[in-house]
Amino acid sequence: MKEKEENESERSSRRNFLKKVGVGVGAVSIAGVAGTSVFAGNKSKSGEKIKLLSPDGTLVEVDKDDIKPVKEILNELKEEARAGLPNRKFCMVIDLARCKNARKCVEACQEGHLLPKDHEWMRLYLLQDDNHTAKYWFPRPCFHCDKPMCVSVCPVGATYKRPDGIVLIDNQRCIGCKFCMTGCPYSARVFNWKDPEVKVPEGHVYDPETNIPAVEGTVGKCIFCADNLRKNELPRCVTACPMGVIYFGDILEDTVTNGIETERFSKLMLDRAGYRYREELGTLPSVYYLPPTQRMFPVESGLEDSDESIKGRYKNAGPR
Amino acid sequence: MEADKKLIRDLTPEIEKTSIKWYITFFIFFAFFAIGIYGLILQIDKGHIVTGMRDNVVWGFYIVNFIFFMGLSYSGALISGVLHLFHTGWRKPVIRMAELITIISLIIGPFFIFFCIGRLDRLYFLFIHPRIQSPITWDVIAICTDLFGCFIYLYLSFIEDFAILRDYTELNVPPWKKKLYKTLSLGFTGTEKQRKILSNARMIMAAMIIAIAIIVYSVLAWIFGVTLQPGWHSTIFGPYFVIAAVFSGTGLLIILMWIFRKIYHLEEYITKRHFVNVGVLLTIIAAFYGYFTFSDYLTKWYGSIKMDSILIDKLFTDYYSLFIFANYIGILLPCIIIAFPKFRTIPSITVAAVIAVTALWVNRYIIVIPTLETPFLPIQDTRPDWINYSPTWIEWSLTLAGVSVFAMLFMLVSKIAPIISISEMQEKDKIEILK
Amino acid sequence: MKKKIIYTILLLILLPVFSVYLFSQEITVISPYIQLQYFKNTDDQRILQTTLTYSKNRMELPLPGMEISFFTVGDQKELVATALTDNKGVARFELKSDTRLKAGKDGMWAFSSEFKGNDTIEAGASEITVKDVRLEMVLTQIDSIKTITVNAFIKENGTEKPVSGEVVKVYVPRMFSLLQVSELTLDDAGTASVEFPSDLPGDKDGNVTIIAKFEENQIFGNVEKRETLTWGLPTDYSVPVTHRALWTKTAPKWMIYTLSVLLAGVWGHYLFALISLIRIRIDAKKQEAKDEYRI
Repeated sequence: MKEKEENESERSSRRNFLKKVGVGVGAVSIAGVAGTSVFAGNKSKSGEKIKLLSPDGTLVEVDKDDIKPVKEILNELKEEARAGLPNRKFCMVIDLARCKNARKCVEACQEGHLLPKDHEWMRLYLLQDDNHTAKYWFPRPCFHCDKPMCVSVCPVGATYKRPDGIVLIDNQRCIGCKFCMTGCPYSARVFNWKDPEVKVPEGHVYDPETNIPAVEGTVGKCIFCADNLRKNELPRCVTACPMGVIYFGDILEDTVTNGIETERFSKLMLDRAGYRYREELGTLPSVYYLPPTQRMFPVESGLEDSDESIKGRYKNAGPR
Repeated sequence: MEADKKLIRDLTPEIEKTSIKWYITFFIFFAFFAIGIYGLILQIDKGHIVTGMRDNVVWGFYIVNFIFFMGLSYSGALISGVLHLFHTGWRKPVIRMAELITIISLIIGPFFIFFCIGRLDRLYFLFIHPRIQSPITWDVIAICTDLFGCFIYLYLSFIEDFAILRDYTELNVPPWKKKLYKTLSLGFTGTEKQRKILSNARMIMAAMIIAIAIIVYSVLAWIFGVTLQPGWHSTIFGPYFVIAAVFSGTGLLIILMWIFRKIYHLEEYITKRHFVNVGVLLTIIAAFYGYFTFSDYLTKWYGSIKMDSILIDKLFTDYYSLFIFANYIGILLPCIIIAFPKFRTIPSITVAAVIAVTALWVNRYIIVIPTLETPFLPIQDTRPDWINYSPTWIEWSLTLAGVSVFAMLFMLVSKIAPIISISEMQEKDKIEILK
Repeated sequence: MKKKIIYTILLLILLPVFSVYLFSQEITVISPYIQLQYFKNTDDQRILQTTLTYSKNRMELPLPGMEISFFTVGDQKELVATALTDNKGVARFELKSDTRLKAGKDGMWAFSSEFKGNDTIEAGASEITVKDVRLEMVLTQIDSIKTITVNAFIKENGTEKPVSGEVVKVYVPRMFSLLQVSELTLDDAGTASVEFPSDLPGDKDGNVTIIAKFEENQIFGNVEKRETLTWGLPTDYSVPVTHRALWTKTAPKWMIYTLSVLLAGVWGHYLFALISLIRIRIDAKKQEAKDEYRI
């Protein structure tokens, strides 16, 4: 039984409206009010109304003072994307015992963020620490570290850490120096080596929280689906996983959920001896792992159904 | 006065006339440069997909060239600064070359960063949105500072020469050049007061240049050193890079001495003594450099940290020949050649220098690439053809273009200014006469 | 003979083509999954909710914008409302107090909801029966021990009777889902109680909402009681704006100081060198003037 907390914050609904009407810019400019769009939430109103055509074809009446240039909307979205969600600190728990390389998380991620081929934010590793230890599947999103090396080394502040724990990239700021990619010890960042050629929904306004569209010559990475979080929805990889491998939640609430089960974060850590990958690096990741004990699938099953091109990606997997 | 005229004629072989040889050589270099530009246009048009760099090896030839050229530049500064500060007697014919190496490579180096970044159109963000915490910002500040300082330093050393060329009425050059000399010499006439001001300024700038060279090259090393990557995260990187830079610069100085001596017939000014002296300097630096290299790899090899072991393994398998060439042959061979007086001939010293400089470039390569090929998480779940780095023709062409521009700029400077400082040589003559 | 072979071959070729055609026709008709649920919330509002979904590639997908009819089922079926499904495939209808509800012989209310279907989606119907229950949640705190007590009663022949043996779940709502605190089974007196965990974080004042509910109960449907109070641990999480670190917008002070000192030192010397150049120029000018005077 799923039920969401009803009190969706005013900020988030305002943001959604902002975005919805932001999408309407295309239609508006056809109507002759070029380069302007609508924005709700302004306190002083003149009362003068203007009729605008929204993208789904319905006529909306808005206050004249609410009309703002697109650029202002963009800046406003960017400011919000830098501020993050108030009083939240997100974390992820990945249960290695359940992962069998079904790759649904990767697919959902690619689809949801309109990522081009060969530009994958979510990666699945087949790890084996030593000859005498067991192999296991290791899904790797961005770790959203609390001491993020990638953010420290960014020369232009294109990538930044928000108070709610999420590390985002403003790909309109990124100069593509790739220093963050060498800085990240988890290879979580990927570069747009060529024009991504994504079909962007018409009138879409760029926002670091969706990071759509990808831009050639800039860096991308997992963003914990910051756009979904604002709508109180779980990240796409979490809901897509058929095994319920990935738990997500707010560490301040001490609760994580994989969409089906909801657990106390601290209890999960205690009962399953949760750990973070390479704690010794001191980057303080927000992603925790549960060791692959009492696994639900044999590790080999992860390659059974996959085609040759996927198998080829794990050819040199072995102890190291 | 006759001696002076001869000096001027000998040291400014290209100012009055331009030989066909000069044109042909320039054209050849220009052709390489043009190919590089074509490559660059392709890269800007199609994106970085045309390079050999991919998601794991995100830095390739460009960064290697960047560190290499920056190294040459700082070392030039360091050599000329040190030689100037300590009034080394034999420095005079070589000091100008060292200064020119500094300035020219300092101009070329940053261009490789431009080739490496994905959004060249946003380069100015470095200045309008700087973050002081990033080593790249340190580097931007440092390079700008260094470039400015080196220009001042070079100019200070040129003033007297410009004055000499201005006053030398028999010089057969077009009027614009005469005018240029007149403006650039600032009306310097060589009074006691002017000389004192000039030498004071040069002293201070020489000291400054040494300090900046050390700081700036350390900053460059810290771009690698501050990251967590195996092989890069090393406290020794700052001094190691500085000494490596001086090593390459000294080597290049020997090579240039040989080239200029051959082309412009400067046998009289650049003698075997200079080659041996700079050669000995190279040996001493090589010893330091070898020592740093050894301690860096020894600690990595002796300690059993997994990532370090994997990296060392890779260096001794996939990169075996490069590693041996860069860190054994490249260091030991120059030492051996120069250490034994028997082997000390001008050609052999030059060969040693060529080996040293190439080995240093290779050393840069095996610092940058193998580390990127051994990330903490093994390279998996990516296209198999994206795992290893191999440069494409575009990267090669731009590398060659960089070398060509280096040569072209040297050739252009030799059209305007003396390649060996006339004023310093005059001074030397006077001292010898006094004796 | 030859003709026969040709016909057979033709048939063999056409059959798969034809069957593909048939198959594709079949696939365009969706057979939906329709589920009617009964909710009674903490304010005793009664809501009927119908979810219309279908399954595609083993994924459950919603059918939005469909008309659902709600009925009360007594001696005869009576249409009480129609509603459209939203983009999650959910249609809701609130049973107002004036809605005539007639309990059956066993004291149960019966409802049904129907979807008429259209060209591409098959029709469907779902039916439920529920008994009205009064759920009570009592929250008491003695010293540091916080106790949740739940009681449940049903009305039978005008008198209240305790509900026994049924399961009541206790939840705390979180950002994405409900966190289960406890699962209680009602005793013969229709009562059960549990201690509330002392270490559960609330908001910055320690506010938590506690929900007790019958969940998908065979007899009662979904019935809940909720209450918000300061039983949680206060969590105050705010990052000071002026926070300086390597990864923040503003750099640590020592970095700025060091950089400033270094730059001031270096550029100061440059300035000295530039002033020297100017002094040379001035001296040269004086010299020139002198020379002219001499001539």
